[in-house]
This record gives sequence, structure tokens and C-alpha cells, in this order.
Amino acid sequence: MLRDITIGQYFPVSSPMHRLDPRVKLVLTVLYIVALFLPKTWVGLAIAVALLAAAYALARIPFSMVVKSVRPILLLVTLTAALNLFYNKDGTVLFQWWIFTVTDAGLAKTAFIIVRILCLIVGSSLLTYTTTPTALTDAIERLLSPLKAVGLNVHELAMMMTIALRFIPTLIEETDKIMSAQKARGADMESGGLLRRIRSLLPVLIPLFASSFRRAYELALAMECRCYRGGEGRTRMKRLQLAARDGVALGVTAVTVALLVWLNFVFPRVI
Amino acid sequence: MATMIDARQVSFSYATEDDPHEVLCGVSLSVKEGSFTALLGHNGSGKSTMAKLFNALLLPSGGQVLVQGMDTAREENKYDVRRTVGMVLQNPDNQLVSTVVEEDVAFGPENLGVPPAEIRERVEAALRAVDMWEFREHAPHKLSGGQKQRVAIAGVLAMQPQCLVLDEPTAMLDPQGRREVMETVRRLNREQGMTVVLITHYMEEAAKADRVVVMDGGAIVMDGTPREVFREAERLRGFQLDVPQPTELCHVLRKAGVNLPPDVLTVDECVEALASMME
Repeated sequence: MLRDITIGQYFPVSSPMHRLDPRVKLVLTVLYIVALFLPKTWVGLAIAVALLAAAYALARIPFSMVVKSVRPILLLVTLTAALNLFYNKDGTVLFQWWIFTVTDAGLAKTAFIIVRILCLIVGSSLLTYTTTPTALTDAIERLLSPLKAVGLNVHELAMMMTIALRFIPTLIEETDKIMSAQKARGADMESGGLLRRIRSLLPVLIPLFASSFRRAYELALAMECRCYRGGEGRTRMKRLQLAARDGVALGVTAVTVALLVWLNFVFPRVI
Repeated sequence: MATMIDARQVSFSYATEDDPHEVLCGVSLSVKEGSFTALLGHNGSGKSTMAKLFNALLLPSGGQVLVQGMDTAREENKYDVRRTVGMVLQNPDNQLVSTVVEEDVAFGPENLGVPPAEIRERVEAALRAVDMWEFREHAPHKLSGGQKQRVAIAGVLAMQPQCLVLDEPTAMLDPQGRREVMETVRRLNREQGMTVVLITHYMEEAAKADRVVVMDGGAIVMDGTPREVFREAERLRGFQLDVPQPTELCHVLRKAGVNLPPDVLTVDECVEALASMME
């Protein structure tokens, strides 16, 4: 179950999306997330969905990966949907029972919000599917580099992120192993109330912490062996260079955003 | 042949006030360029400490370690020493920095400030040398133990060292991975003339070196070719070490009065000796 986490999981295929400059992808993702809150009409939302679908098709990511990225937030989506559905009192009443009222406007609004949240998650997953975590940290390092002027050590920050990403799968595997080991010795982690369950995690967390410190020590040793001495005088194998396709991607997104704004004045608003 | 590593009367202690125990006491060892040396010893014999002294991870508290004539104790030599003597550690999981194989291999040369185009060439050469080029875009955590350890070796090779020190590189691997790593190391030694210092507690691996050095209690107690060292099975046992299984078999049979040579190392040699004895 722990292995299902897809955050930071790169999907290795070759596609124009994968080849986009990671800085551009990062900016575009942020732009897309903001743009998702622009459409107030169905047409606008449809265009936002179409843009995402086109991007996924271009990236050659199979639909199963899209489903996988949505699964962890299904509960959140359901909860948001329920709240929106029952709190909305506008429009014609379709259905009423006890304190629950469902109206046609509420239904439309809820559908709208569900699509928007799904786009949000699926859109940001596209970034991690098409960009290696190292390229991503590299992009963050470069986009943040103006902050060096105010004394932020951008290189160290990026290094920490890289290492964290590198060790997430390792530590997940280790957690699985420790849990199995404790269960084999009769530890009960599935029953009892919340408090009891949290307490039963202690025998998992303590060995996990101990081994993480050991790993950190060894990693530091290995990094020293490989002449690591901070960001100074360091070069990078992969140089980031903007290409024509980056310009096209930025152009398409910019035009879409403009279109989304304009559509709000033309078509009937849902929200 | 020129000397790669020269340890002269080296002492070392992880000394604290209340524990003045010396891990190494006046050890001298010189490693020739292009040689393949196996360093044996049971836990706490000082063999790992010795390895860390070879690339300035630790500095001797007495005596000197010279790497191609450079004194490891001098701060200005530190990075040249580490670039010359590459070190591979035991656990492959804890030495890989990046989430993509080729970027991990690039980590060393990036630290050295090598220009990007040359890093690419070095990464390709290093990955090809360990036969992992096809895996360059894979995530390390999805590789097998042996593959991970070969990537770790490539990461060190990309710094273009002249000597490889491997601190029990196969201890955490399955037999398949152990074979892969050993083959890689032997090939590097034979084909590229890489000086190798292999710290191990697998006797079969040590038998493949051209020199075996046995340490016990912070001192060198035996030093010679595998044949010379392993024929003294009784003495090795005194240092809590075994001999390779074929050697052991012949040793036991000899004691029972069977006429066999005392210096058998490999399974093939053992088979041959037994066959000729039976004729």
C-alpha cells in the first residue's frame, strides 16, 4: 500500500513534453494551476481540460497513470463535492431529505469543482511524470538563484531536495520491511482506536529513525569520497538551454489563458 | 613498477580521553601500481580503517600515508588524493545521490568542476566499463544490488581515479550480484590497469587477487600471494579466518593422509588434483 505513492515518480518515455526545459515546465505548471481558477463557464473549463489532455497525449503518459495520480485524493474530492452539493441553496430544488437539499445549480457547481480539482492534481502530476526529480530540483535551483543575493544558499536547498527524493523509495521499502518484522513478532498495527494505533507505530518509527541516521552518515562519507564540497566550483552535466519548443509551449499556454479570461465575458457563468 | 599507495608506520586511534585504544599500531604497507591486493581480517582488525586512510577520509595519528607521493595529511592534497584513490563502500543504497543513474555517475566529475561536455564522455565511459550503459536513465532504487554497486563503481570511475579501494563491496549482495561486481573489478584491473585494493571477508574473492594481506589486531600478520597465504590454513584460523572451500577440502584430506598439494585455490584445481591423485 505504501508503494502506491506516485509523487516524484518519473515516467521514463521519450516525448516532446519530457524534453521541455524543466524551468519552463515548472513555470507552466504554476501558470496552469492559476489559470484553472479563471474559467467561470463550461466552455472555459472544457478548454482547460482539453489543454491538459493534449499535454498528456503529447507526453505519451498512459491513462492508467492519470488514474493512479488521482486515487490518493479521491476522499478529499468526495468530501469537497458533498459539502458543495448540500450547502448550495440556489436554483431549483431537485431532491430534499432531512437537512439535505440538492439543487440543479448546486449539482452543476459541484461537477464544475470536481473537474477543477481533478485537473489541478492531474496537471501537477504531469510535471513529475515528465521531469526527473533532479531536473526539477535543478530548475528550482536556477529559478531561485536570484535569491542568492539575499543570502539564501540555493545550492544546498536543491541538494537537500535531491537527497530527500532519492531516499523516499528507499525509506518506504525500509518501513515496509520493519513493519513486516514487527508483525512477525506479533505486533498488532491494524486494530484498536486511533491512539492505540499511533502508539503501535512507535516500534516502527524508532528503528526507521536509527537507520536513517546511519544512512545519512554513510551517504555523507560517500559524498566526501566523491569530492563534494558544496556548490562552489561545481559544474553540471546537463545544461539548461531554452529551445524553440519551449517558446511554443509558453505561447500556447499564454494564448489559452487569454482565451479563458475572454470566455468569461461571452458565455453564461456557472460559478 | 611505481608505488600507488605507501603507508609508512601508520598509527590510528579513534581516541577519546577514556578510550586510548589504538586501531592501527605502526602499520606499513605499500601497494604497487596496477596490482590487485586483497585485504583480509575479521571484524575490528583495522582493515576498514586502513581503507579510509588511503583516501584521506581519516588522517593517521602517527606515521604517513603517501598516495603517488602526496601526503594525505596535507589539506591542499585532500581532493587530489580522493580523485586518485576512488572509494566504494559496502552499502550501495547509501552511496547513490541521485534518482537517475547517469546523473549519479556525473556527481563526482561535477564536484571536480569538469566541463559539461567532458562529463558526458566520462559518464558514458564509466557506465560502459561496468556494463550499465543501457540502464543510464533508470532509477537506482529499481536496480538489483549488484547493479547498484556497479553504478557506485561507475560513479567513482567517472572521476578517473588510478586506484580503486573497495570496502566490502559485496557484503550486502546476493551470489549473483557478488559475481557481477567481482567480474567488473577484475576486468578493470586486467584491462585498464586499475590498481585495486579489495577489502573482503569472502575467501573466494581474495583468492582471485595477486596479493593477499591479512590484518589482525591493527597489524599486518600475513602478506603474500593467495597460494602462500592460504596454504597456512591453521594460522589463518587463529586470526578467525577461513580458507577457500577447495583449499579447505584438500587441507582436511591431506591431514587424513591423502597425497594432495597444499596450495589448491580454485574448484578446478581441486578437481584436477583429486583426479590425478585417483589415477
